[in-house]
Amino acid sequence: MKTPLALAISAAALAISTAAMAEEPQSGGTINTIIQPEPPGLVLGMIQNAPTRTVAGNIYEGLLRYTTDLEPMPQLAESWEVSEDGRTYTFHLRENVTWHDGEPFTADDVVFSADVFHRELNPSARAVLQHVESIEATDDHTVVFTLTEPFGPFLISFEAGTFTMVPEHLYAGTDFRNNEHNDHPIGTGPFKFANWERGTVIELVKNEAYYEEGLPYLDGVNWHIIPDGGSRAVAFENETIDVLPSGTVENFDIPRLSAMDNVCMTEEGHEYFSPFAMLWMNNREGPTADKRFRQAVMYAMDREFAKDVLWNGLGNVPLSAFGSNARFQNDDLEPYDHNPERARELLEEMGYDGEEITILPLPYGETWTRWAEAVQQNLREVGINVRTQATDVGGWNQRLGDWDYDLAFTYLFQYGDPALGISRTYLSDNIAKGSPWNNVEGYENERVDELFNAAATAFPDEEREALYHEVQEILHEDVPVGWLMELGFPTLYRCDVKDLVTSGVGVNDGFKDAWLDR
Amino acid sequence: MVYARLILMRLFKAVIVLFLIVIFNFLLIQMAPGDPAAILAGEAGAADQEFLNQLRERFGLDQPMYVQLWRYVSGIAMLDFGYSYRLGVPVFDLIMDRLPATLLLTGTAFLLSLVLGIVAGSMAAARVKKPSGSLIMALALVFYATPLFWVALMSVVVFSVYLGWLPAYGLYTVGAGHTGFALVLDVAKHLVLPATTLALFFMAIYTRMTRTSMLDAAQQDYVKTARAKGLKPSVIQRRHILRNALLPIITLAGLQAGQMVGGAILTETVFAWPGIGRLMFEALQQRDYNLLLGIFFFSAALVIVFNIITDLVYRLADPRIKGAS
Amino acid sequence: MSFFARFAQNRGALVGLIILLLMIAMAVLAPLLFPESPWRMVQRPFLPPFSQDGFPLGTDTMGRNVASGLMHGAWVSLLIGLVSTCVALLIGVPLGAIAGYYGGLIDDCLMRFTEFFQTIPNFALAIVLVAIMQPSVTSIVLAIAMVSWPPVARLVRAEFMSLRNREYVEAARLVGQSNTTIILRQILPNTLSPIIVLASLMVATAILLESALSFLGLGDPNVMSWGYMIGAARTVIRQAWWLSFFPGVAILLTVLALNLVGEGLDDALNPKLSRER
Repeated sequence: MKTPLALAISAAALAISTAAMAEEPQSGGTINTIIQPEPPGLVLGMIQNAPTRTVAGNIYEGLLRYTTDLEPMPQLAESWEVSEDGRTYTFHLRENVTWHDGEPFTADDVVFSADVFHRELNPSARAVLQHVESIEATDDHTVVFTLTEPFGPFLISFEAGTFTMVPEHLYAGTDFRNNEHNDHPIGTGPFKFANWERGTVIELVKNEAYYEEGLPYLDGVNWHIIPDGGSRAVAFENETIDVLPSGTVENFDIPRLSAMDNVCMTEEGHEYFSPFAMLWMNNREGPTADKRFRQAVMYAMDREFAKDVLWNGLGNVPLSAFGSNARFQNDDLEPYDHNPERARELLEEMGYDGEEITILPLPYGETWTRWAEAVQQNLREVGINVRTQATDVGGWNQRLGDWDYDLAFTYLFQYGDPALGISRTYLSDNIAKGSPWNNVEGYENERVDELFNAAATAFPDEEREALYHEVQEILHEDVPVGWLMELGFPTLYRCDVKDLVTSGVGVNDGFKDAWLDR
Repeated sequence: MVYARLILMRLFKAVIVLFLIVIFNFLLIQMAPGDPAAILAGEAGAADQEFLNQLRERFGLDQPMYVQLWRYVSGIAMLDFGYSYRLGVPVFDLIMDRLPATLLLTGTAFLLSLVLGIVAGSMAAARVKKPSGSLIMALALVFYATPLFWVALMSVVVFSVYLGWLPAYGLYTVGAGHTGFALVLDVAKHLVLPATTLALFFMAIYTRMTRTSMLDAAQQDYVKTARAKGLKPSVIQRRHILRNALLPIITLAGLQAGQMVGGAILTETVFAWPGIGRLMFEALQQRDYNLLLGIFFFSAALVIVFNIITDLVYRLADPRIKGAS
Repeated sequence: MSFFARFAQNRGALVGLIILLLMIAMAVLAPLLFPESPWRMVQRPFLPPFSQDGFPLGTDTMGRNVASGLMHGAWVSLLIGLVSTCVALLIGVPLGAIAGYYGGLIDDCLMRFTEFFQTIPNFALAIVLVAIMQPSVTSIVLAIAMVSWPPVARLVRAEFMSLRNREYVEAARLVGQSNTTIILRQILPNTLSPIIVLASLMVATAILLESALSFLGLGDPNVMSWGYMIGAARTVIRQAWWLSFFPGVAILLTVLALNLVGEGLDDALNPKLSRER
């Protein structure tokens, strides 16, 4: 069932998209938006932080862009071919592209970026590059990637934030991290870096020499840095700020802000990331090592309540490990509905003796804190003795990295394909201390390993689907982690900002097409 | 001459204290869970061990602690505060970037609270058994008892959102391109709310302090003499009582001035004031050790400088004291 | 004149005492009036005050009873204020006593140590300490104590310095009482009144500090304190003013009451001074 708010949004979204189609884009104007928190730097590839991706995705570009259905669109690559055996990918580059400093963009830049720059610096690109045998520039505007074996998600890995194109002529042969151009990033994108006043604003200006005729429409984008959520909301209310990217105001403010005149909201633009909120459950020791306990936790939690009260009815309560935005979802599984009775039965069956367990909230703002309080209360109602362990980002990282927790909140991006965003949580060779992003729960299941590994390199998609369906059944039964919610992260903006979200990464590369109807 | 020697002595002591503070803070921060590399990797949402190792090596975090400490302390001795891990910018530059905003905010709040506090306090002292005097004290007590951040939030809601009189956040209007006098006016407008909220609490302290010490001073013999001489009460109040009552207030103000940097953390957070307090809180959350230590160093240095200034002012105001401390 | 009569002469102090007793009553009665955990989500969220029976102060962002939170919170806030003050006294009184009694090099060292703590901005140090120890009631109490003991040490030292050469102390020395006995039996009892006055003000400051820490997200998530309630409500202050209003008023009244009581105690314990006034 959709809540009234969600219905209103979809109705509004429909109205906007039909209206937008009819209108002729006009040039000019500067958009003021928010970046939160302040990024550590703007060189994509060297830094993959969310705020860096959001700002720098408008400065740098990747070979491809993705629609909100995660279909590839041309960006720096005009067209591409995949060989019959799924091992060779040929990209044809646009010919009229220049870097912001005037140098031409060529196939050599692609080879340098992929083979040298990302292999050295970028862990998310490395995960893909391990399947790549060679990268060759066959002429100035053609690049051929040869894979060691077919890799299903290969074509979805070329998003700017993951696989940025960096200028070879500025970086080749230098110490990348201390390169003088890091302070003044040079990309191929629709906007050029202009100025960064630390703690206040990052200013981007229009790239007059952009290769797509007439784009961008905007003269510039100012990313304001306002550390307090309340102040950000005020800035949007008094119209200093035109666009609130997802996650920049507290969820509790969203109904009020979206109800204002001339304010529009869209849930689109995060499909590529599809943030999936989960509850790590320590599979190694304590009550959480027992499958029945973990199932009881799933039954005890009122996830619909969390969705309605904490997330304004936006988002989706998932069946199991694969979210609704993920490819190959198996929707025949029995949902874990809110069922405290069943939870108590399971606890009794396993003989839970009231041992105290701790819950580690995600230190990312009020909504997450409230959520942990709600789950804690849910668990108490079925008789689980639970205490909240407060922490900040540093402590959270350390506890998860050291496996020193019982239950812990997190959310992970799904990156459009199970082999990129989902399998990493369950593969047993991904168990390693020191990182909160791998198989932190310590789940080991040989069959699951086999299925995931086979599915990643199976070809074509039908074969992958069968394998992924089976793996979901096992995971659904074993509950290695709690599946909380696929988060709905809405973007709020003034209704006179048009065509803001045109891709699966939203404002991360969205200002390219945006224009102001003022 | 006496002053010069005194200042030198104090400065020498200050250097030792600062040195100890550097070591103390360094060890303190090491005890915090997590490290900057893990946090940076965490923000990236994806990190393998290789990435973490690269970062730790780059930051020098792979070295034993005593090596790190030695490096840091010897850096400080050369006035090199190192680089911020997260922002990759020299700590010194970051602090110098932010310090003016904090000094503007705390300086304004300091003067405002001191002047208003002394005025209100002496008014209350002159009306000691009257309702108006009690009213002043009651107000001061209420300001003192109200949480600072609560006042800040409420003033944003009232003056910025509902009335629209004043800007709610920031140091100046970004993108307005103000220069010269227009810029000064713009900054002044932005300054009103944060400076006032920060000042209220301290004003309450000075009001109470002034009243108490004026009442104390009024009991002194020289005041009785002045009264006996038949001087006008207002003259006695100003020349004899207030002047002497100011001494303890100066001491307190000197202590408070340095501490205001701490109090500014809340104000700067609510008002998005790009100052050093906010930078400190962010550095702590990010485990940006170098930056955090640098800020601690500078704020401790500020406290010491203020203490020295207080001492000197004290001596000027009360020539009876001669190098007693 | 009896102690209480002197105290009651100050009408403000009497009002303060009444408010304080009310707060203590709230804390004690909380489990009786609201036996359910204040964390329970019992009604629909954002219920305004006085709109439904059983929820006189409305409900919060998740449908928890604000009145229940406020009563249970009284216990926590008062306890944190009281305990952290006690801890601060346990650090500050011995340090100040030893420094003041022995003087000389010991005094010098201890006072440098005290100054050292005063050189690091208070609130900043408290934040760092809580962050390092990770938020919990214990770490908050310790952090507050760590930043609030120096004034105690200074006060006690000053008192000891003025008392250590009094005749009765000399007399005790002559009859061969040990230093420890002299400090504990002879001098300390005579410094109690200023310490008590200072302590009452410190409880007030501690409650404010706790609320400020919670506001920054450094509160203990397992206990419902007033500071927590404001911190949690600050993001919804525009939709639901009552969520931060009531705990804010509770803090204000308590801090106010403690200050008034402190003044009253000052009058009552130092009758000479106040009569002159």
